[in-house]
Amino acid sequence: MSGFFENYGFLIVTIVQQALLGLSIYFPLMAGQLSLASIGFYSLGGYVAAIMGTHPALAPLREALGFWMFPLEWLGALVLSVILGIAVGYPALRLRGIYLALATVAFVQVVNVAVLNMPIAGGAVGIFGIPQAFESRLDYIWFFGPLFFFALFLVWRIGNMGRGLAFFAVREDELAAGAMGVATTGNKVTAFVLGCALAGVTGAMSAPFLNTWNARQGTFDASVTCLAYVLIGGSRSIWGPLCGAALLVSLPELLRPLKDSRMILNGVVLVAACVYLPQGIMGGLAALRARLSGRGGAA
Amino acid sequence: MKRIVIALALVLCAAQPTLADKVAAPIPIGIAVAQTSNVALFGQEQVNGAKLAEERLNAAGGVNGTKIALVFQDTAGDEAGAVNAFQNLLNRDKVVAIIGPTLSQQAFAANPIADRAKTPVVGPSNTAKGIPEIGEFVGRISAPMTQVAPNSLKQAMKIKPDLKRVAVLYAQNDAFSSSETTTFQDAIKELGLETVTVQKFQTTDTDFTTQVTAVLGANADLVVISGLAADSGNLVKQLRQLGYKGLIVGGNGLNSPNMFPVCGALCNDVLVAQAYSPGAVDKNPVNKDFAAAFEAAYKKGPAQFSAQAYAAVQVVVEALAKIEKETGKKIADFELADLRAALNKSLRTGTYLTPMGEISMAPSGEVQQKDFYVSKIVMNPDGKTGSFVLVSE
Repeated sequence: MSGFFENYGFLIVTIVQQALLGLSIYFPLMAGQLSLASIGFYSLGGYVAAIMGTHPALAPLREALGFWMFPLEWLGALVLSVILGIAVGYPALRLRGIYLALATVAFVQVVNVAVLNMPIAGGAVGIFGIPQAFESRLDYIWFFGPLFFFALFLVWRIGNMGRGLAFFAVREDELAAGAMGVATTGNKVTAFVLGCALAGVTGAMSAPFLNTWNARQGTFDASVTCLAYVLIGGSRSIWGPLCGAALLVSLPELLRPLKDSRMILNGVVLVAACVYLPQGIMGGLAALRARLSGRGGAA
Repeated sequence: MKRIVIALALVLCAAQPTLADKVAAPIPIGIAVAQTSNVALFGQEQVNGAKLAEERLNAAGGVNGTKIALVFQDTAGDEAGAVNAFQNLLNRDKVVAIIGPTLSQQAFAANPIADRAKTPVVGPSNTAKGIPEIGEFVGRISAPMTQVAPNSLKQAMKIKPDLKRVAVLYAQNDAFSSSETTTFQDAIKELGLETVTVQKFQTTDTDFTTQVTAVLGANADLVVISGLAADSGNLVKQLRQLGYKGLIVGGNGLNSPNMFPVCGALCNDVLVAQAYSPGAVDKNPVNKDFAAAFEAAYKKGPAQFSAQAYAAVQVVVEALAKIEKETGKKIADFELADLRAALNKSLRTGTYLTPMGEISMAPSGEVQQKDFYVSKIVMNPDGKTGSFVLVSE
């Protein structure tokens, strides 16, 4: 049993970490906004933690704080993400649908080029030798686990209060919601910033987890992968991002014995999931449950 | 919710020390390189080199008669993939040493894990600064750019002694190129040359008019390029087309036949420093055999990545043989943990005659390579194929 966790500890934590990124996309989706900006904030959060963890000028602070340096890094990433999220959110959220998605893709590119040009971020090699919080990769679940449950709680709580109803109203019909007196811009920006903040803190936790941080963490490919977690998992269920991340992250590892052909089978499974589960895994499960209980029929 | 909490609780109450393991026979050596993803271009070269090493070294008796078995785990191109591959090799395949990963960035993520597991890592292609410093179990046989790059500059000065003004160009979004260019720039300063302009580009660029104009405007008589094959090929082509007549020195990214179709006949005379040259066979019988065997097996000449992967396997096997000789104990009689520690020490003693020439590993894990090579590109009359011709050893 211990061998299993020694081997797959990193994978298990990676699933939770990636699920957090999925959730960070789920927040703006609650208000109907398709944003791919999360990965940019994830990258920035990671850089904040990596720089705070390794920069020689901060050595006395690190010594004084010890383990408490890590929460301080999260706080730094959180503050930066919120400020930047608001600054980006207000203008960007004037765009709708595909144009918003494009603008957020552009944001990810801007972040990428910016960090490549900042000497403090270590260029393309990035920052390495980041101080570790735990010896074992599995122990990092103490970082990501509580954050994940907190994020889930937040999603669930928001869904049950006025703010959430406003989100859903904007999602279903922005014009109608505006006509009914819902502050559409304010709600859209709030949902967007919540996602940014979550992605930023996840990044700050990920830098020590990965030992190193570089610009390759925040690429367009990575943002599409995060979106895939939500789409494959189910975009209307709070468990969707976790399901999607669990499937997409673990599949290549479970198929490892197949060697070279594993990526082919990985692709086949993903295509099958898209074709046969258009509502995602959670949507498929809900339909199955409805059919088994005889209420939903074949719909 | 409750189910997940229980599952997490199960996850967290794990982590007991594993029982002592014996070394398996044949002796498992891990190869963690990128067999998939966009890095696979390099990874496949490494697989070819490593497989050839396994075949030839086993045919020659392996470790004093005990055969070796390479265990391949794909790292793909990202950091998480490298960590997963390392975990599998360490915990499931119980290898005595790991050769890999392909990229330096992956090494920064995965090597600390092997270091904590007290298992030696031999980097076959990690050239960034700071790799051996990751830990006492981390070493490499790929010479860092600081050692390789200056050789091509020295060669350029030999060809044209009145050289003075140097233009430096590099691919800013490529980790290797951007660290290589700092090495070049330091070397330029050390050799008493003057850097007249530094231009950046992206590996995805195809139009280099801005950079070329700057080079021509600065009146440079030497251009130093750090980039990948496709972009550098285009850059060389446009430099020549717009009238640059001086010498061109390329970094390791230009050390690839993939450049030939891009710049065609205009590739001629680009100087490249190499850690390995298939042509350097006169003084090195090991390379002569290796290059011939590689050619026979894969119908093409060996690339640097293949030669370095071959050398990495060879170094591990010779270090294992040395342990048997020194302790008088067979490898199979060792506890796995003891062997890994002994192997780490053994790797760092003595010299190895590899296809790259004579190399050894310093106690820090840094490689010490005796010879470096400078080649120039000579294109065939068809303008599509060509070769690297050794100009100095």
